[in-house]
Amino acid sequence: MLILKRMFPVIALVVPLIIVVFVIDQFGTGNMQRVSTEALVRLVFAVGLYMFVGNSGILSFGHMTFCAVAAYASAWQTCCSMMKPTIMSGLPAFVRDNTFPLIPSALTSVGLAGAVALVSGLVLMRLSFFSASISTLALLVIMNVVFANWTTVTMGNSTIVGLPVYVTIWGALAATVVVIVLAYLFQNSRWGLMLRATREEEVAAQASGVSLYWSRFIAFTLSGFVAGLAGVLFAHFMGTVSLSNFFLNHTFIIVAMLVIGGMHSLAGVVVGVALISAVTEVLRQAEAGYSIGGLSFAVPPGTQELVLAVTMLLILIFRKDGIMGGKEFRWPWPARSDRLAIEERKVASVQRSS
Amino acid sequence: MLKIEQVVAGYGRLTALKNIDLRVDKGEVVFVVGPNGAGKSTLLKTISGLMAPTSGRISFQGERVDGKAPEQVCRKGLALIPEGRHIFKTLTVQENLLVGAMIRKNAMEVRADMEMVLETFPILRERYNGVAGHLSGGEQQQLAIARSILQRPTLLMIDEPSLGLAPLMIDQVYSSLRQLNQTGLTLLIVEQSTGRIMDLASRIYVLRNGNVVLEDAPGNLANGNALDAAYFGFSDNAA
Repeated sequence: MLILKRMFPVIALVVPLIIVVFVIDQFGTGNMQRVSTEALVRLVFAVGLYMFVGNSGILSFGHMTFCAVAAYASAWQTCCSMMKPTIMSGLPAFVRDNTFPLIPSALTSVGLAGAVALVSGLVLMRLSFFSASISTLALLVIMNVVFANWTTVTMGNSTIVGLPVYVTIWGALAATVVVIVLAYLFQNSRWGLMLRATREEEVAAQASGVSLYWSRFIAFTLSGFVAGLAGVLFAHFMGTVSLSNFFLNHTFIIVAMLVIGGMHSLAGVVVGVALISAVTEVLRQAEAGYSIGGLSFAVPPGTQELVLAVTMLLILIFRKDGIMGGKEFRWPWPARSDRLAIEERKVASVQRSS
Repeated sequence: MLKIEQVVAGYGRLTALKNIDLRVDKGEVVFVVGPNGAGKSTLLKTISGLMAPTSGRISFQGERVDGKAPEQVCRKGLALIPEGRHIFKTLTVQENLLVGAMIRKNAMEVRADMEMVLETFPILRERYNGVAGHLSGGEQQQLAIARSILQRPTLLMIDEPSLGLAPLMIDQVYSSLRQLNQTGLTLLIVEQSTGRIMDLASRIYVLRNGNVVLEDAPGNLANGNALDAAYFGFSDNAA
């Protein structure tokens, strides 16, 4: 019972996801399954990003870097054994001339992404709050420029095709659940607590013995690993790797999802990603055009982005902590003492407002 | 216990502390008072490592602490409650207290201290699972004090504990500070007003324009003239 209570915020997120996936798997169209799988992969990335952004309060625009590194690393190891020596001639010989099994290459790719996060974190996390945030954008730009021009290894702006496609909707769900549990355990761990303290009050946290640098660095590295996992999943869901998928566009969509759901709680991230993915998909189909009774109509192209932007603005104006307001789903039957406190609060707020 | 010798510190070209000498002995309650901009907060920040002094030395229990990072300083037993009740607003009361105990290893002792703190501040037990940002100003100050006690400091520094509190709340905060001192905790408190400090203080320093202009025991300052003179910069105390 106690463990059920303690893990309730996670259960409240995971169970509905499982139900939705089950329903879609049984009754959904092929397109619905594809869209849901992609949304789950995006959720893995968003939760990874949240582990750093949500707990530290520092917005990162750079996590796509780790996603890209892992996706490319997995492509280098698993894709197109026939073509590899010609199209990616710059690869080290043992990678170029061999194809590696899927699981080990997924693990090494995630590891490589984590290593990149670790090294960049060593430098970036020394910076103060806002500088750290902007510096992550620089990281993204550096990755993009390097990958775009390192054509013998990355094929530049061309798309690498022919990766084995092994990510199913259930596989993506499994990864999502693992990552959500991991994020929840992290935020309630010693290091997560310290990091959240620095988010609220840097000075007081330092005065309590918390090192800004180390607490941020650990979260940054950890979230780099998770972003890497999302990269691998994405590559083997699409079967292709293209640099344009790892740049500002996708970064901003994920950031918008975090803002709309509420980036200071795990529930906010899940709600944000689920909601926006669903809405975007409906709008995408509307842009493509519906036909009802012989009449077909379509909304103008660009509606997706517009709706996303307007939603974000409305949220920022009217509910700046996002839909979930930085809260997790709570155990719905609080203990007696807590219930009294809640009642008291209500009375007090009524008195204040009258 | 704490010894500050010829400390100079500032922000860029502005020198906020000009050659400060100050000491705190074990078991004392030392007050530093002074008007706005006297350098009081800068002094506490410098001692706790949030700012590095330009020159001079700060030693605590015989060990140099100047130039050390704040998290290292606080591990030596020097705790600071920063100005304006810096609590972690979206965290629960429990989590706030746990952050305070973060630097300690012995879980048994922490649990015992947690119990002791909740005895001292019953309101925190009532609000234990509530969000700290919902506490009133006085309750937040109590939480900030409780949090720093959980660090088991040997010297606790507080920056303006009475700031923005109703008089009744100030009395409460001061009586808990007195209790803490009686259990052997040494206190270094910065205040802007001199009104309430006389009966708690072992010694008082008056700071003005980054200089110590007066240091004395409250008994010698009982009629208040010398204190006023130093505080406002009358006569020969002008800095």
